[in-house]
Amino acid sequence: MASALDDILAKHAIIVCAGSGGVGKTTTAAALALRAARSGRRTLVMTIDPAKRLADALGLESLADEPVDVPLPGGGTLAALMLDQKGAWDRLVERHAPNAEIRDKILRNRFYQHLSQSFAGSQEYMAIEQLRALHESGRYDLIVVDTPPTRHALDFLEAPQRLADFLDRSVIRWFVKPYFSASWATVRMFNRTVGFLFRRLEEATGVSALVEVSEFFTAMAGLFENFEPRVRQVYQLLRDPRTGFVLVVAPEEQVLQEAEFFISQIERLGVSLRAVIVNRMHREVLVRGRPPRRQALMTVLRKLRAAPELAEGLAANFDDYQALGRGDMLRVEAFQRLVPRQAALVMVPNLPGDIHSLDGLAALHEYLFSAAA
Amino acid sequence: MSEASQTPSMLPPPAPPILHRRLWVVVGKGGVGKTTVSVLLAMWAAEHGKRVLVAEVDGAGRAASLLGVQPERLGVAKRVRPNLAVMSVEGAAALAEYLALILPVRRVLDVVFSSRIYQYFVAAAPGLKELMTIGKIWYEAERTDPETGDRVWDLVVMDAPATGHSLQYLGMPKAAREVFQTGLVGRESQRLVDLLSNPARTAVHIVTTAEEMPVNESVEMYHKISTDLALPLGYLVVNRLHQRRFDTGELQRLKANARRLPQADRVVAEAIVDRAFEEEGWSSINREYLQRLLERVQMPHVELPFVFAEEFGATHLERLRQVLSRQLAAREQNTTHHGFRLG
Repeated sequence: MASALDDILAKHAIIVCAGSGGVGKTTTAAALALRAARSGRRTLVMTIDPAKRLADALGLESLADEPVDVPLPGGGTLAALMLDQKGAWDRLVERHAPNAEIRDKILRNRFYQHLSQSFAGSQEYMAIEQLRALHESGRYDLIVVDTPPTRHALDFLEAPQRLADFLDRSVIRWFVKPYFSASWATVRMFNRTVGFLFRRLEEATGVSALVEVSEFFTAMAGLFENFEPRVRQVYQLLRDPRTGFVLVVAPEEQVLQEAEFFISQIERLGVSLRAVIVNRMHREVLVRGRPPRRQALMTVLRKLRAAPELAEGLAANFDDYQALGRGDMLRVEAFQRLVPRQAALVMVPNLPGDIHSLDGLAALHEYLFSAAA
Repeated sequence: MSEASQTPSMLPPPAPPILHRRLWVVVGKGGVGKTTVSVLLAMWAAEHGKRVLVAEVDGAGRAASLLGVQPERLGVAKRVRPNLAVMSVEGAAALAEYLALILPVRRVLDVVFSSRIYQYFVAAAPGLKELMTIGKIWYEAERTDPETGDRVWDLVVMDAPATGHSLQYLGMPKAAREVFQTGLVGRESQRLVDLLSNPARTAVHIVTTAEEMPVNESVEMYHKISTDLALPLGYLVVNRLHQRRFDTGELQRLKANARRLPQADRVVAEAIVDRAFEEEGWSSINREYLQRLLERVQMPHVELPFVFAEEFGATHLERLRQVLSRQLAAREQNTTHHGFRLG
């Protein structure tokens, strides 16, 4: 019998792995992609900053704009692509600049150079735009996307709109206006308050810097003429019925709170949540519905012929892990009630160590794709 | 090599005691326990009679809840103990506060805050937000009581957001100074750069766990902080270390024995042995990456144990506080402090 996640892999063209940073998203995305490839689908995994040895396992020696094929011993088509997070804005400018002169003017602008690293949303937008191009190329049956490590799972979805707001030409024109229209006087007359603000800003920053800022916006103003429709297309792709979201979480209070918020926003965003994967679960062992007591543990350990000192250590260690299991189960049970019924909930135990080989990823399949899940 | 044979002029000047500095910045990859460690460090300083403020940047008020209090609204300190307070700091709120200082007319402020230009500024120019956050934190560190003229805090502990972000925060004053060479922002940025890079006043602590990704990121951060940003370093705090050792050969033997037990006992026996394998697995990973980390990062370090708890609470915080205090006391005694102050 196929598991819920197998079914999801079979029915979608795009799977987006979302979740807050540090929950094992990258590894999960790679494991899902490997499974789909082995089942005969031509699969691409778009990944972000994997652990060095996982990158090696996927054949990703360095950043590349193009997918690289991952040789699969058991057969199947798997490709991997590592997104370049740092150069996202540069590429956005390069792609949209009408000519080389404007492109260079922007890229050389000091204001741009300092801020381009931290402009909100550029990485996320570029990831989705690249996703769209690869999806339309028809080279892959399924693309699994790992999302950038943001604090909030929603950032990935909201980034394109934020970027569109930022590039809203009326806002940019506002900012450009004082220098555009030759003098501050126009603005001062037009709106005393804004004039006042600008005068203060001028005093505060020194005019030379404002000129540079203004130049930057002047150059940017014409750059993104057709941006809004592109952003709409990007959202269409994310809301397509053949695009499914998989939320990856860990059983920690903060992470689950963040996930709860994500789930509560799903409807508003119009995307489909297909599964929630809980990584790093500890489980409490119950015997006839109860955790075994210390005395029972010691009895069993005697039967195992463990030396007394070792037996003490083993029992104490077991009890410690039982406490972790109890906490994880309680938190996940409370969280589970909020997961929409049509989404599958899959739990993966807390396996020691990082995964850095295809075999390691395949070992995860036992938990991800057990039919009972 | 004996200490006497070292040429003093070849060595960097000894750093002033960590407790004399006025700003501690705590950085680290997401999920390694930065907020918990920030609170623990603050508690340690408070024990030594310092009046300490923990400033949680872009957080969810977790520092407050760890200490068992409800967080105050943004930018307002909440006293937790006589010597210890917490505050949530957020860039947009800090910018609003700053504008209120330079534009003191309420009506004007309201128009400014509701204008699209302002909205744009806050949303799309995060550099400004970061600059304002650092500015706000430094303002708190320098703030004096209007009546007595004394400083309100001896020490501000900044709980910075996850790695990429914290470096953006720390790098922003330098970037801003380069862009805005003249004017108020230029001067303010210069002042922040001076304060941040002064080893008599600031220390950057790095928090990590001993696993592959956090260690790689911490090594990268260490180089960026010490070389690119040239900021003074404090402690490297290695969090959540699994320390129990089990002999895997012995565990294999027990596992084989377990197979011969009747079903009911067997389930328990196997679970006991599996948990021991799990712990030994984590311990050996932690050992391997701790060693790797210490080879690459030249900072005094302290180690905190993994906490086994159903739910992390006050008793666990207290236990970690004791562990940290003991180690820091020993570290600080061994450090040769020459008792002079820079600047």
